[in-house]
Amino acid sequence: MNLDSAKWFFSRLNGKTDTTEPDGYDQVLAKQQSRRTAIKSLMGGLAVGTAAMSNSCALTTTEKKGEQSQIDWEEYFKGNYKVMTEEEKSATVNRLIRSYEMNTGKRISMSSSPPKENVLFGYAFNISKCRGYMDCINACVEENNQDRTSQMQYIRIHEMEDGKGFNFGEADDNYYHEVPAQGHFYMGTQCFHCDNPPCVDVCPVQATWKEDDGIVVIDYDWCVGCRYCMAACPYDGRRFNWKSPEIPEPEVNLKQHYLGNRLRKKGVMEKCTFCIQRSREGKNPACVEACPTGARTFGNLLDPNSELRWILNNKKVFRLKEDLGTEPKFWYYMD
Amino acid sequence: MDIKLINKAYGGLFVGVTMLFSCGGPQEGAHHTVDDKIREMIDSNAQAISDSVYYLDNLSELVKVIYDDVQFHVPERKGQIQAFACSECHIGALDKMSSMDEDKQAHWNVSIVHADASIMNCLTCHSENNMDVLHSLTGNTIDFNESFKLCGQCHNKQFDDWKGGAHGKQLGGWSNPRVSMTCVNCHNPHAPAFESRWPARYNTQKVIERQ
Repeated sequence: MNLDSAKWFFSRLNGKTDTTEPDGYDQVLAKQQSRRTAIKSLMGGLAVGTAAMSNSCALTTTEKKGEQSQIDWEEYFKGNYKVMTEEEKSATVNRLIRSYEMNTGKRISMSSSPPKENVLFGYAFNISKCRGYMDCINACVEENNQDRTSQMQYIRIHEMEDGKGFNFGEADDNYYHEVPAQGHFYMGTQCFHCDNPPCVDVCPVQATWKEDDGIVVIDYDWCVGCRYCMAACPYDGRRFNWKSPEIPEPEVNLKQHYLGNRLRKKGVMEKCTFCIQRSREGKNPACVEACPTGARTFGNLLDPNSELRWILNNKKVFRLKEDLGTEPKFWYYMD
Repeated sequence: MDIKLINKAYGGLFVGVTMLFSCGGPQEGAHHTVDDKIREMIDSNAQAISDSVYYLDNLSELVKVIYDDVQFHVPERKGQIQAFACSECHIGALDKMSSMDEDKQAHWNVSIVHADASIMNCLTCHSENNMDVLHSLTGNTIDFNESFKLCGQCHNKQFDDWKGGAHGKQLGGWSNPRVSMTCVNCHNPHAPAFESRWPARYNTQKVIERQ
C-alpha cells in the first residue's frame, strides 16, 4: 500500500473524496487529509496493514492532527446513539466538540441530556391567531442550523381560503404579500411527534425513534438516507439533505444537542425535534418564542396545571388525519 | 376435581398463552390513544409538575396574577410607561391642562381606535381625578400593573382564555413557574388591533423547485 492509496482509503473513511466541497457535517469532522494525518490514522486503525506503516514512519506529525485522526476513527466506528451507554454518549459528544474546536477555533456546547421524568411534550396551535407572518420559520432555521442554500425549513405555513376548509391541495405555503390576506386563514404544520410514529416503524436501521418525553429523534450518524421515513410520514414532516448543508460560520448556533441541532451532513434525514436542545432545559421551542401572535403553545401533557392541558380540556381541539391512528401530539384549535 | 380449581387452571393457561403471544411487543396495544396514555400517566403521577430551570431574560420585575383556579406572573407595567407617574405632569385639573397651546399637545400621538366613540373615551379607563391609576366601569381603582382586570370587563371570553393559557403568549419557558404576557404587552390599549405586515421570509428555492 503506497501513500496515495492510504490517502484515498482514509478520505473514503470520512465519507468524502478530496474533490467534494466541505459540508456542514465536515465543519465538525473533516479536515484536509494530508499524508501526515493519514499516517497518524494508522495508529488508531487496527484493520490497516503494517505495510503503509513502514512507509510512513519516517514522516513526523503534529499532535493535533493525530488527535483529529483518532477522533475521526472513533467517530466512524461508533454505535447507534439509541443503544449507547452514558459514557459512550458523552465520549462522542466530547469528540464532536473537540473536533469543531480544532477546525474552527470555536467551542460549541453539545448536550446529550436525557428525557426528564414525568414529562411528555405536546403542542397546540391556534388557527384563529396565526396571521401568516412566518417569524416562526426564520427562528427555526437559525436555531436548528438548517441549510441556508437549499432554504430547508421544518415549518410550513399554509395560506387557506375561507370557506374551503382545510384544503391542503389548494393552499399556498410560499406566499409573499401583505398578511393576513383578505379572505384567508393560516395554519402551520411541522413534525407532529406522533405517539405512534409510522416513520419509526419503517426505518430499516433504527436510526429514528421516540424518546420517553415523546420527541421523535434521529441519529444523523446512523441514518443511511433511504428516505423510507419520509415516505411513511403522512404529514410531510421530514426533510432530506440532498446536498451538503451550508451555514455561514458566524450564523452557526453553537448551543447544540446530539439529537437536535448539531451540524448535519449530506444524505441524511432531519426534522423538527421540538428544539430538543431548548425544551429539555425548560425553554420553549424557537417557533413558540418567536411567534408574535401567541398562536403557538408548548407544554407538558402530564402537568395538570400546564397551559397546554387547559387548552386540551377547554377548547375544541383536533388533530390532522386522526383516523390514521398515528396519534400526533400536536393539536389545533380556534378561539 | 373441584370446578374452581379447573377454572383456575384454565385461567393460568390463558394467561400463559397471552404472555407467549404478547412478548414480541410488550408496549404495543398498552394504550389505544395518546389521550388514554396521558390520563393513565397523570393518574400515576398526580404531582407531575416539572421543576426545570426557570428561564426569563430581560424581565426584572413580575406581577403575580392570582385567581381561584390559576396563579401565574405577568411583566410589570408601570416601569415600561414613559414618564410614569402621570401625576408628575397632571398636577392640575384636566380641563385646565387641555386649554394649553394647540401646538404643544402632550399626547399628540394617541388616538383611540378602540370600540365606538359612543362606547369609549379616555375616561372609560383613565381616572379624571387621579391619572396614576385606572378605574373599572363601576369606579373601582385598578393599578396600571393589573390593567388586565380593566380589559377583562368587556373582553371576558379572551380574559378566560388568557387565564387558562389559550390566549396570549408564554414568556420564559413551558416549565413552572408560569409567566405570560399581559394584554398591553401585545395590544396597544388605544388601538388594540394588530396591523397587517409582510411575511418574514420568501422561499425562493421552493419557487425554483416547483417550476
